Amino acid sequence: MQNLEQMITAAFITEDRWKLYLSGLGVTLEVAFFAGIIGLILGTVLALMKLSVRQNGKPGVLSMISTIYVDIIRGTPSVLQLLIMWFIVMKSSNNGVLVASISFGLNSAAYVSEIVRGGILAVDKGQTEAGRSLGLTSAMTMRYIILPQALKNIIPPLGNEFITLLKETAIVGYVSLNDLTRAANLVQSRTYEAFMPLIGAAIIYFVVIKILTILLGRLERRLRKSDNR
Amino acid sequence: MITVNHIVKDFKNVDGTINHVLCDVSTEVDAGEKIVIVGPSGSGKSTFLRCLNLLERPTGGQIIFDGVDITAPKTDINLIRRRMGMVFQNFNLFNNLTIMKNLTLAPTKLGIMTEEEAKEKALGLLKRVGLVDKSDVYPASLSGGQKQRIAIVRSLCMNPEVMLFDEPTSALDPEMVGEVLDVMRQLAEEGMTMVVVTHEMGFAREVGTRVLFMADGIIMEENTPQEFFAAPKTQRLQDFLSKVL
Ligand SMILES: Nc1ncnc2c1ncn2[C@@H]1O[C@H](COP(=O)(O)OP(=O)(O)O)[C@@H](O)[C@H]1O
Ligand SMILES: [Mg+2]
Repeated sequence: MQNLEQMITAAFITEDRWKLYLSGLGVTLEVAFFAGIIGLILGTVLALMKLSVRQNGKPGVLSMISTIYVDIIRGTPSVLQLLIMWFIVMKSSNNGVLVASISFGLNSAAYVSEIVRGGILAVDKGQTEAGRSLGLTSAMTMRYIILPQALKNIIPPLGNEFITLLKETAIVGYVSLNDLTRAANLVQSRTYEAFMPLIGAAIIYFVVIKILTILLGRLERRLRKSDNR
Repeated sequence: MITVNHIVKDFKNVDGTINHVLCDVSTEVDAGEKIVIVGPSGSGKSTFLRCLNLLERPTGGQIIFDGVDITAPKTDINLIRRRMGMVFQNFNLFNNLTIMKNLTLAPTKLGIMTEEEAKEKALGLLKRVGLVDKSDVYPASLSGGQKQRIAIVRSLCMNPEVMLFDEPTSALDPEMVGEVLDVMRQLAEEGMTMVVVTHEMGFAREVGTRVLFMADGIIMEENTPQEFFAAPKTQRLQDFLSKVL
């Protein structure tokens, strides 16, 4: 059994291996960031589609498309979605970050849409009625009255979804991306020693997520304060 | 001004059965009239009022506003709603906006007034209800009575031709009812056409030009306030009045 110092040296110092983890973290954050943006935009659109009704109050075709989309995404493993994107849909692209960002973005959008929809539905119906009774269109009512109020309900679970997304990107090694998890794998295969690289990577994920959680908590407190202004 | 022709409104219950909330309601609202609607809870008063500006779409029948059939699918209801104010039991002020923004949002976003015109109009109306000093606060910091006065002002900022009130004082503490009724009285004196659902029989008697009694989804009886209260014809109205007076 090697001693601890040797293990650490082999896992992080030799051949500047710490750089592998660092660039891996960079890839992880990059994919999570772009996927988060795609998820937020597409998720909001999906939520609005799902909430759209025809004049007779029944859900229309947009709403059905949104429902089916969310169903499919939630009903299939994200690893498979990633592989399908990489080997089939975007076969001609060898930009792994792009493919992974899109794949995770499309995946996250389904969950974001449920969050956004819930946040919108939690706003008192009277707010919509007051807006519409003044002659505002439903789009104006949504934009100026409902969405600003829904944001307060949406931001906390949205933060949690982003954290989940960040962790889920640990499977991008499947499409040859050297993210943080893959970096640990690579080091392990060089040193024939699993403990240090894997625990090291886990600690890095943990620290990043802890920082995000703290920031999110602050934001939530700020939002809650503005309730009783 | 408003003609209601045989409107029917059904709601589907969760168990699939049909709830006939309005069963063939017809009436007419002339310019300058102050119509007061009373009746037991669940009789369809709110539903009737909300049909007038199509917050609820009637299942059948017609509503003609200023010569236009607003229930026709091709009618742009947003244009009609600009001309009809509505005041809700729960005020429904926009929680995310200051009082001033509450008042100017619709006129400015709909391109009816410039920002300055809307502000001037809002300030003038705020002065009349004695709430100018509240223009920069958020609704959460107001009392119920203040909220409702602001809600009335918000509708008035659109220069409506008719005002619909759905139990405007029912959510208020007793000591705040008067301040809201005073504003409504003032509005009535200025000649506003009003349709008011209320349990305030004093207001009905004093301000109403016609009182409707709704029960079981129909207008069971209607009359001038004097006759309505002095000589109720149906047994249902007699029972109702004996309970509320
Ligand atoms: N959106 C709705 N969906 C289903 N049923 C409704 C809805 N709105 C009202 N109702 C029903 O219609 C009936 C009349 O309600 P309402 O018009 O609010 O009566 P009122 O205002 O006279 O108390 C009630 O039985 C109520 O449950
Ligand atoms: Mg009611």
